[in-house]
Amino acid sequence: MADVDWGNPFGWNEQQWASATWSQRFTFINPFFWSYLGVGLALGTSIIGAAWGIFITGVSLLGATVKAPRIRSKNLISVIFCEAVAIYGVIMAIIMIGKINSPDTVADIPTCYTQILFSGYAMFWTGFSVGLSNLICGVAVGVTGSGCAISDAQTPETFVKILVIEIFGSALGLFGVIVGIIESSNATYPKTC
Amino acid sequence: MVLMVSTLQEVTGDDSRFFFGYIGVASALIFANLGSSYGTTKSGVGICSMGVLKPDLIMKSVIPVVMAGILGIYGMIVAVILQGKVSGSNSSKQGYAYLAAGLCCGLSSLSAGLAIGIVGDAGVRANAQQDRIFVGMILILIFAEALALYGLIVSLILSQTS
Repeated sequence: MADVDWGNPFGWNEQQWASATWSQRFTFINPFFWSYLGVGLALGTSIIGAAWGIFITGVSLLGATVKAPRIRSKNLISVIFCEAVAIYGVIMAIIMIGKINSPDTVADIPTCYTQILFSGYAMFWTGFSVGLSNLICGVAVGVTGSGCAISDAQTPETFVKILVIEIFGSALGLFGVIVGIIESSNATYPKTC
Repeated sequence: MVLMVSTLQEVTGDDSRFFFGYIGVASALIFANLGSSYGTTKSGVGICSMGVLKPDLIMKSVIPVVMAGILGIYGMIVAVILQGKVSGSNSSKQGYAYLAAGLCCGLSSLSAGLAIGIVGDAGVRANAQQDRIFVGMILILIFAEALALYGLIVSLILSQTS
């Protein structure tokens, strides 16, 4: 059985294309474009958040260590929390890549195309939500970690208390991953449809 | 339209996959080089400021510049791999996967370069004032470099889609 013709899935002729509405044309944007853009967003924006957090906290850590060298090793934990945000992005990207398939045999083209289109939209917004929440999580952990290093240099007792706040911050990224997994679970790319 | 490339291989896919595939190639290289140059610039300025008073530490402080340079190489690797594959892609899924591969590598290397530059700048200046900071600076730089590596790994996975 022939594969879906992604350029013209319903086999429309010139006249049907000329009278198509904008919302119909929007649905003809290739579903795999949406899917893979979601993958790229999930990874790319998560890593932007992780890097942002690392440099926010790293700068304060290094500056405060000049006068209080004892804080150096303990406060690297803030950097590790930021790195974990990047790993959330990698996990989501690999889960999403594993789901995306093109169909082997196509029996009914409109149902097949609609199903794959739905999956494409689901993947795109999964990637967007995971990526954006990891971006914000990285910034949050970075700012908190920077405050943690500076106050630890001044008063050692405050380290553990601010670390608790950092853990709350890093939970934001986890929320994003949980919602992302639920969102992408409905996205099925059927092998036969 | 369905094009017959050979008697055995059928190509189905809209032609816009080439447009987006080459965007992937370009973005891998462009963003990675942006990150690499930012890392080099920012830490280079720090080294030059620091080197005025502590010239012996200059060679040790070149490490952030080297780490930033690696990011440009990641971008070049992915761009070279992808450009060979985009022109030969025979399905929509492959073409758009190459877009994602380029974006993953490019954006990751860009952000890693930003982090390496800013941390490297602060690190070399702090290292001049306090010897014990060197190990901490290296550790933070390694975490930042790992971000670009994650992007490279996922890009290579994506470039293998069939």
